[in-house]
This record gives sequence, C-alpha cells and structure tokens, in this order.
Amino acid sequence: MDDHHESSPALRLRGLCKQFGKPAVDQLDLTVQQGELYALLGPNGAGKTTTLRMVAGLLAPDAGTIEVLGVDLAAAPRLAKQAIAYLPDEPMLYAKLKPGEYLEFVAGLWGVDGASAAARAEKLLDWLDLSQHADELIEGFSRGMKQKLVLAGALIHEPRLLILDEPLTGLDAAAARQVKDLLLQHTRNGGTVVITTHILEVAERMADRIGIIQGGRLIAEGTLAQLRGQAGAGAADGATLEDVFLQLTGQA
Amino acid sequence: MRLLPGSALWLLRHELRLFWFRLGGSGGKGPARRGPRVSAVLIAAVGAIVLHVFAWKLLSTTDGGAGMPPAAVLMTVTAVFVLIFSLMLSHAIKASIEVLFVRDDLDLLLSSPLPSRSIFVVRLGAIVIGTAAMYLFLLTPFAHVGALLGQPRWMAIYPVVLAAAAIAASGGMLLSLGLVRLMGVRRTRVVAQVLGALIGAVFFLLSQLYGNAGAALQSRVARWIKLHAAASGVLGSDSALWLPARATLGAPLPLLAVALFGLAAFWLTAQTTHGFFVRGLQQVVSQPRGATRRLGTPRQRFGMSLSATVIAKEWRLIARDPQLISQVLLQLLYLLPLCFVLVFKTDAVLPGLGASLVFLGMSLTTSLAWLIIAAEEAPDLLRASPASLIKVARAKLAAAVAPALLLLAAPLAWVAWRAPAAALLLAACVAGGAISAGLIVQWSAVPAARGDFQRRARGNVLSTFLEFGTGMVWSGLSWTALSWLHAAPHTPPPALSATLLCLALLALMALAWTRREKTA
Repeated sequence: MDDHHESSPALRLRGLCKQFGKPAVDQLDLTVQQGELYALLGPNGAGKTTTLRMVAGLLAPDAGTIEVLGVDLAAAPRLAKQAIAYLPDEPMLYAKLKPGEYLEFVAGLWGVDGASAAARAEKLLDWLDLSQHADELIEGFSRGMKQKLVLAGALIHEPRLLILDEPLTGLDAAAARQVKDLLLQHTRNGGTVVITTHILEVAERMADRIGIIQGGRLIAEGTLAQLRGQAGAGAADGATLEDVFLQLTGQA
Repeated sequence: MRLLPGSALWLLRHELRLFWFRLGGSGGKGPARRGPRVSAVLIAAVGAIVLHVFAWKLLSTTDGGAGMPPAAVLMTVTAVFVLIFSLMLSHAIKASIEVLFVRDDLDLLLSSPLPSRSIFVVRLGAIVIGTAAMYLFLLTPFAHVGALLGQPRWMAIYPVVLAAAAIAASGGMLLSLGLVRLMGVRRTRVVAQVLGALIGAVFFLLSQLYGNAGAALQSRVARWIKLHAAASGVLGSDSALWLPARATLGAPLPLLAVALFGLAAFWLTAQTTHGFFVRGLQQVVSQPRGATRRLGTPRQRFGMSLSATVIAKEWRLIARDPQLISQVLLQLLYLLPLCFVLVFKTDAVLPGLGASLVFLGMSLTTSLAWLIIAAEEAPDLLRASPASLIKVARAKLAAAVAPALLLLAAPLAWVAWRAPAAALLLAACVAGGAISAGLIVQWSAVPAARGDFQRRARGNVLSTFLEFGTGMVWSGLSWTALSWLHAAPHTPPPALSATLLCLALLALMALAWTRREKTA
C-alpha cells in the first residue's frame, strides 16, 4: 500500500448513501488528505456516526465508494482496514481482560508481529499512565482510563488513518489533554485523524479543516476562515466556530 | 383502586406492573412491546382449562372422604410438598440474589423519601409472589374444582402454597444475607447460585442415587419404612412429620399452624434483616468492582496466531467470570448420577448413557458457544479489524467445543477400556454433537449481553428449538448405534432409523444455516 498510494488522499468518499427508512447519508462527497486532522461536525442525527461506521467497514453503504489511502474498501476490505483504527463513542472493550491482554488481542487481530507489539504495548501503557493498572481488570476502570486504553489499542497497530467518534466525551481535563496531544502527535508523524465532536472549541483549535454535515450531506467545508466566508454576512471576522456552525446549520 | 403514592401497597403495585411488563421478555426483533404476547396468554388460558378438566377427572372419582387419610397418602403428599418446597427455596435464593445485587431501580427507590423498610417488605413480597406463581397456577385448579364438587378442603392449597412460598422466600433471603455477612458480596453470588441449584436438584440426585443403589439397600429402606409406619411410630399417621401434608389436605389446625408459620417467617425476616439489607446494598455500592483486585503479574504473549489469540481471549473471559462458570457447570451436576451408573453397569446401560453423555456435551457446548459467540462484547472491534471473520468464527467455535470434549474425555476413556468399538462410536457422536451445537449457536443466536445468560432462551424460540432438536437427534443416533453394537451380530444394522435421524439432523442444520445470513 505504501508504494503506490503515497500520494492518495487518506480518505475519499464519493456519492456515499445510506438509508434507514429515510436517508441518513445522502450523496456524501468528502476528501481528507494525509497528515490532516479533519473535524466532522453536525447537529444530532446529521449522519456523522453512520458515515464513520461505513468508513470503518461496519456498515455497507447503499451506494457510493469509500477509498482508504487509495484502496477501495468494498473491493479490498482487509487491505483497507489494515490502515484504519476506529474508536466509537462507546469503547469496544472486554470487562474481564487486563489492559495488556486487551492490547495483545487487538494486536493479534491486526496481525502485528509479537516483538514489536510487546514493545509498543509497554510504551503506550506507560505513556497513557496505565502501566500501574496493568494487573487490574478493565471493568474497574474509569471512563477516562477506558478511553485511553481504547486509544492504546488503536495505536498498537500503527494505523495511518485514525477515526474517532466523540473521543472526548466524559473525560476529565487531564485525560482530554492527553488524548488531544496524542491526536496532534499522530498527525505530526504523518498520520491522519478524522474526528467528530460536539465540543466546537476542540475542533476550532485542533482541526486543519472542518466539514459540516446536515441531513446526510456536506453543507460546508474548509478552515475556520473559509467557513466564515461560506456562512456569509451572518458571520463576522471574529466569529467563533460556534457562531459559524449555528449560522450554517440554520440554528442561529 | 387509588393507592396512596409512596405507600407499600402502591410500591407493590408498581413492582407487579413491572413484573407483568417483563413477562414478554426484552430485546429481540420487532417493535418494542411490554407484557406477554396474546398467544402466550391464550396458551396459559388453555393450560388452565386443561388443568381444571384434569382435576375434575381426578377429584370426581374420589369420595372426598373426611377423616384421617392413611399414612401412605400422607407420605406421598409430604414427598410432593418437600419436592415443591425445595424447588421454591431454589427459586427464592436466586430471586434474593437478584433483589440484593441487581441494582436496576434500587438507587432511585433508596434515594427517594420512601422508608427503606417498605422497599424491603415489597421486594420480599415480590419474591413470595414470584415463587408461588407457578405452583398456584398448577395446583389451584384442584382447589376450584374441589370447591365445586363439595370438597372445600382442597381450598387449603391456596394458603399452603402461599405460606410455603413465604417460608421459602424468607429462608432464601436469610441465607443470602447470611452468606453476604459470612463471605462478602462477590463470593455470595457464586455460592448462593450453586446452593440454589443444588437444592433444586437434590431430589433428582437423591432419587438417582436410590435408584442405582442396588436391591439390597432398597429393600432395607422399605423394611425401615414399614417398621416405623405403625400408628405410634415416627412415620405413623399421627406423626408431626405429616403436618404440612395434613395442612395441604385441609385439616383445620395444621392448616392454621402452617399459615401462621409462613406469616411469622415473613414478618420476622422483614423486621430483623431490613437494616442489613440496606447495609448489604451499601456494600455492593461501595464494592470497587475489580479496581483493587490483584490478579498476579500479567502474562501476555504477543505474536500468537489469530486463532490462538481469539481462543486465549475467550477462555480468559470465561475463566474470570465465576458466576457464569457456576451457571454453566451446574448443568454438569446432572452428569454425576450418570457417572455412578456408568461405573457400576457399563454394559447394560451403555446406549442410554451414551445418549445422555452426548446430550450433556452438547448442552455444555451450547452454553459456552452462546457466551463466546452471541455475547461477544466488542463485535465492532472484530468487524473493524482486517482479521478474517471466518477464521475468527472458527476459532470461537473451537473455544466453545474444546471444553466439553475435554470434560467428556474421562467417561469416554472408561468406556474405551471396557468396549473400544463402542467408545469409538460414542466419541464420534460426542464430537459431532458438540460441533453441531456450536454451529447452531453461531448461525442462529441473537447477539446479547453476557448478563442475559440465564434469559437467553427468551425471544429466540427457533434457536432453542434447533438446539434441543439437534441434541435429541445426536442422542438418538448414538443410542441407535450403541444398541446395535451391543446386539450385533445377531441383529441387522438399524438402517431405517439411522437414515431418518441423519435426515432430521440435516434438516435442522439446514434450517439453522438459513438463519446465518441475518445474524452474520
């Protein structure tokens, strides 16, 4: 994948559609470049989670294509998934495993070789302050610890595309800072991050580009300055992302 | 009826309403629904009518004679009473554990201004009603018909069943609270579960032991009973042992005694243990849920194959859930009497026994497969990974099948020592049965939470039918094969029945296979 897709976008969605009775995602086109931190915003029910679940290969789209680093997800799902880590808003964990065993399992799923997985697990657990809890069961963890462990699981196979659905929900300030640092670090190392969040300040401060979806369609996209322009007269120069978001989604 | 909000009766009505809503089960397909289905209500109504007709047939032939019934009748009624009471106690222990440890809405109730005594009384009362319900359904037709036929003493069934349920509920609650005090919350759940099941099974185990004990012991027991059944003996008709039986048969004084005893047990339990109920709950709340549990130095082995990784994860998850283990292993309780038989009478009973072993192996596999496959905690993690889902499914199947095979290896080895050819046949049936049991779950089970283990049959009738059906077919196959082997070479091979069983197996597996697409 590295050879022939070095210049491909990290993620490219074309004409993506998904219906659950009514359209949840409707002709969605979206491109995220490698090394970008892209924030996908939208009101409740806009289709954010559905989009991310399709990208993660958990939901089959009704129409449209998904390319991950130039690989068509439908045609070569295993190759495409190899590069992705997906973190839903509810952590995917096993209550009765210990953190190291969870990482061992995730590394096994992604086929990471033993020696490098063991070294990386140790490093990640240290970094996320989870080493001291290495011999405890996950069921006793706080929400923040669980979220950090899921992140460690995501990073153990060194994904090039990290997809996170509301990663900061329920975290205290220190844990939220650690997660944000980790995401920025990931993009600095050339990785790509796509997140959804309701905390607009986070998107404003961290994202290289922001996409706003509503009714399953992308209604605006760009840097904050570009979004201000798209919002038109309603958004002045100093307008915050919150102002712009409410203006664009017609909730102002 | 308008009840004062916040009163004990008001709360009882709330509990009963929730109980009714939950009767239909939860989750599953289709629109959200509460309360039992109309079809279930109809079936219950038909069942009640049939029971009434049955009671009519039985009671209209008796003279309803007053006076003292003979010792044999008292003995039989007592046996039935003890059997029902042991089942009630078993149910009450399980229900007490639910009340004590399943929090549900208890936080809401305890944080409200309702007195905690009312909450406890209502919960205990709900256990009594839940414990009595089935026996009231099964036995009260005799009371109704008896009253119609001019034998009003049958009405005693109502107070006797309710009093027995109250005594069982109080006993179950006291036992559970005692265990909490004695060994802490975590162990209590497991120990109480095992105790509950043991009490429920004790009649079966005892009858099996007696049935297999040999003629000498049986005749000694019969002699002993005969000796003491004389009018003045321990088992004579005047004996206090028959008090519950006499109450059941409507004798006024014994009936009064049993009813008062039930009321007193309920009242005393509510009075004396309500404080500890609240404290016991606080223990549960403050329990750190594993945060302080040290389980030794973790040992990870990165770099195992995908199958080994999956199997290691599944076995770890099961091994760390003592409650689930106890629930699963309780099924094996029934294996014990089979083993007594096997050891003493290998040749004569091998066909029936082989069939039972096959069925047990399959039921163990079904339970494990449900935990491993249907109750997967992070299905999205598996589907989002690049790992081959077919390989993951195969590894999960292996993880579910292997324990049953290992467990049955010992009885199989015994059979192999006595009859190698039969052992070979039996081993094939055990392995085939276990694998098909795992496949049935893989294809037809609906995803669920691990905590729903005991309720897994609800809302998935087809899956339950398939599990039971394949169990019967494999047992039938092993029975047919072993019987033939026993009788060979004097009889021809049972080609027709074997073919029919194979066809039935194929049909069941095909039916399960069609369910696969929806749940895959």
